[in-house]
Amino acid sequence: MGVAGDARASVVSRRHMEAGSWRLVLAGRLLPYALIGPALLVIIGVLGYPLGTLLWLSTQHYGLRELLQHQGVFVGLKNFQAFSIDPQFRYVVQVSVIFTIVNVGLSMFFGTCIALLLERVSRPVRVLLSAGLVLVWATPSIPAINLWQWMFDYEFGVINWLLTHLGAGNYIHHNWFENPIQGFAVITVIVVWGAIPFLALMLYAGLTQVPRELVEAAEIDGARPWQVFAMVTIPILRPVFLVLFSLSTIWDFGVFNQVWVLLNQRPNKDYFLISVYSFQESFRVSQYGLGSAAAVVMVAILVVVTFFYVRQTVRLTTEAI
Amino acid sequence: MNPRKLLFSVAAAFALLATACGGTTSSNTTGNESGTLTVWLMNGSAPQSVVDGVNADFKAKHPNVTVNVEIQQWSDVTTKLDTAFAGSTPPDVMELGNTLVAKYAAAGALQDISSKKGGFQNSGTWLQSLTDSCTYQGKLYCIPYYAGSRAIIYRTDMFAAVGATPPTSIDELATVGQKLMGKYGSDPNFSALYFPGKYWYAAAPFVWDFGGDIATQSGSKWQGAINSAQSQQGLTVLRNLVANLSRADKTGDELKQDQAFAQGHIAMIVANGWEVGVITDPKSGDPTLKDKLDAFPIPSHNAGQTAPVFLGGSDLAIAAKSKQQALAQEWVGLLGGTKAQSQMVTVGGVIPNTTSLVSLSSGLPAKFAAAAKVSRFTPNSPNWANVESANVLQDMLVSIFTGKSTIPAATSAANDKITNILNS
Amino acid sequence: MSRRGAQRTLFDSVAVLILVVMLFPIYWMVSTALKPGKDILSLTPVWFPSNVTLDNFRTAMSQPFFWNDVVNSLTVVLSVVAISIALAFLAAVSVARFGFRGRTAFVVMVIAVQMVPLNALVIPVYLLLDSVGQVDSLLGVIAYYLAIVLPFMIWTLRGFVANVPVDLEEAAMVDGATRVSAFVRIVFPLVAPGLVATAIYGFIQAWNEYIIAYVLLSSNSKQTLTIWLASFTTQHGTDWGGLMAGATLTALPVVVFFLIVQRHVVGGLTAGAVKG
Repeated sequence: MGVAGDARASVVSRRHMEAGSWRLVLAGRLLPYALIGPALLVIIGVLGYPLGTLLWLSTQHYGLRELLQHQGVFVGLKNFQAFSIDPQFRYVVQVSVIFTIVNVGLSMFFGTCIALLLERVSRPVRVLLSAGLVLVWATPSIPAINLWQWMFDYEFGVINWLLTHLGAGNYIHHNWFENPIQGFAVITVIVVWGAIPFLALMLYAGLTQVPRELVEAAEIDGARPWQVFAMVTIPILRPVFLVLFSLSTIWDFGVFNQVWVLLNQRPNKDYFLISVYSFQESFRVSQYGLGSAAAVVMVAILVVVTFFYVRQTVRLTTEAI
Repeated sequence: MNPRKLLFSVAAAFALLATACGGTTSSNTTGNESGTLTVWLMNGSAPQSVVDGVNADFKAKHPNVTVNVEIQQWSDVTTKLDTAFAGSTPPDVMELGNTLVAKYAAAGALQDISSKKGGFQNSGTWLQSLTDSCTYQGKLYCIPYYAGSRAIIYRTDMFAAVGATPPTSIDELATVGQKLMGKYGSDPNFSALYFPGKYWYAAAPFVWDFGGDIATQSGSKWQGAINSAQSQQGLTVLRNLVANLSRADKTGDELKQDQAFAQGHIAMIVANGWEVGVITDPKSGDPTLKDKLDAFPIPSHNAGQTAPVFLGGSDLAIAAKSKQQALAQEWVGLLGGTKAQSQMVTVGGVIPNTTSLVSLSSGLPAKFAAAAKVSRFTPNSPNWANVESANVLQDMLVSIFTGKSTIPAATSAANDKITNILNS
Repeated sequence: MSRRGAQRTLFDSVAVLILVVMLFPIYWMVSTALKPGKDILSLTPVWFPSNVTLDNFRTAMSQPFFWNDVVNSLTVVLSVVAISIALAFLAAVSVARFGFRGRTAFVVMVIAVQMVPLNALVIPVYLLLDSVGQVDSLLGVIAYYLAIVLPFMIWTLRGFVANVPVDLEEAAMVDGATRVSAFVRIVFPLVAPGLVATAIYGFIQAWNEYIIAYVLLSSNSKQTLTIWLASFTTQHGTDWGGLMAGATLTALPVVVFFLIVQRHVVGGLTAGAVKG
């Protein structure tokens, strides 16, 4: 209710701005700041200091003793230098990048397909499917990963049993994590499974915003369904797409729990994604400086990778007025 | 009521509950600052009755002190401990896994209580390896809490069916295992000795038994010893046992071995005393196995002797930042004292912190306590936790069992890593 | 008609197939929660519990501090959702409808903040809250959750607000409505699905977060449900039946929340608003 009220106020004052009173002009100028103010305050208030600390930690030699005394040893960019000559870190980055590309691609593809499907199915099926998606989404992530771990288990796994009995080969006593490629395939299944509900529901929410009139007009003009999709739906969904694409990239690059929990909190080095590496350095090896530096590298890579999307988004933002 | 209305009213009830109780939950911990003692115990460590008993005794002496015993979860506990110690108000007393103590002691998180040692009950008869775990650079940073050790749990009915008795040497173990494989081995899920590939704590006894070790210390320097001839000999014997007797996942870990055992296709597992409870628990296992289980110590290659086992367990430490040092010591003393420890044995079924009370255990737990008589501990270095988290020994075992590399190659690779990490 | 009908039947069956695949793990979770011990980890999968038992639910709910944790989780989550939706909507309107100096910087910040791996912030956040005495307090957790869900919400809602054509607002005004009622009648309903989606997002993020809640909340009476879930894993192994029963119970409120908001916001308002 407060939301609608404030929004209403914004519209009113914008209108008065045109009336010319300088006080109202000032109010109008300040209004956008007043609107972002509370959110900005919370974000900066809570995350500002920690983010600064993170940056600062990345330039420190910071072990457990240093953590306890809140006093590290400044080492400049040494932590980053260590990464540049560490073949393991290069592997970690490569694997993380490939993993992200595959996972974002698959999640977005399935998410879009299901969103389009949601628009086309009959009402009861739609309610059923979206409730099912929410159920998947709502399942607490850590027990869900436990569940998957167990479904892919060496001797008790229902997947091995199913594959064997469906005639896909002998999967009795098959270990999915012996070979990292297979292991990452399992992790991908879990990540995509977990990502689909959110993407599909967001895209579906976006689809409901596509004015029916536009679609119908295009259809009357003789456009084929895929043409309608490409000429009407995609452009309108573009902001949502951009957001979801960037978000998926950010999230999949940061995948942690799936690896950590699936491999019983002690993953083999083959399975180190960059977030796992960062956590391991911090909380297992107690090298918080290195762990933080890895996190900083992670952000840097994301900035580079998502630069295009972010620029697009910012541009869209500026055009939208 | 239609389902949707039902859901609605459930949600409404939840919301009401939230508003009704929201105000009252957070008011009881802020009391008299000087009169509060905060204790962190780990989930499942002490039976509630033991803790209640300790608190009652404590309360009798200090009626104005509130003791808050908060149970913490195992998952990501080191993350929680790291942050708590970094903060301004860590708990006064905390339970620490014995392999974690050196790390926190070295960082200065724990109070040196060397001078108070004599004041603790039974401190003269504390279990040696737990005392070792509490000792860093000659100083005492915690007191032993309780211990657990591994022995071999076996199915009496299967042993009877092949006419076997508990083996008293490794050779006998192999023979008994072969007999069992001969009788039951046609079942593809059967293992005479179920041994998951990453089960390092069950492999260590074989290394130690032949005189090998993980690492040795001279002065302040550590030197890996896992590639010594003796260590390799132990690992060779173990590899043969695993190859002939186990169909467990050669790259898996031991977390599900009790459930596997409860399925009835396994004759022996190397396990902790409490795992008997997991196997026979109606929620996780099979209660009908209760009368078919017994245990014997991991045998030595010298007939009639037992192999040294790793002594797991927990210690009780006091935070260096605690402002309640005296009270904390007193509380710790009570939980580590004769009365509480006796209950830990009889109610909790664990190995107590002192040899003087070991005789209290009876039945199966007694067999595990007996197995603990010859016990060893991992290298007592603050960096040991890093060796564990780098999976050095687990990876080594996996590559040996799967045949990916030879024992000399696998052990010397692991040895280099161990030496490196311990000295870093 | 018949072609349309056939098409719809095809889509419906594909949807049902997807549903079955997606829900299989959920089915496995719920059926495990209903199984007695020996059926849970079994060499041949037990597809339907041989004798359904509610024991796992009973033990899960009789765990100490369960109701406490429920209340704590609801307190945290409902506060986070209510506050974040309000703040995010205001900020989204500002970004989508106004041009102002610093807007680009704000948008960039909102995006960049989300790139930081949250695990790397555990220690700094703890130290910050420690310095203001909000460790072991629900308030600290709420503040942190707000900060981590807000950027996403603002960014997403901005898209939804921007998507509402300004022409629609103007058209409504031509019809004689004031800008206020135009806004309420046109913009708000069209943004509603976005509000719902982001609300659910915030709800789930806050509801399922583990590491910060665990690190911050030490008193058993102040912990949330994810910590309760972790209690099924002890050093003595994991109580799978209990964990799965717990996970089922934890997932339920989110679905309830979704069903409530979906019925009242998405279904009704959008349809009416677009046509109106």
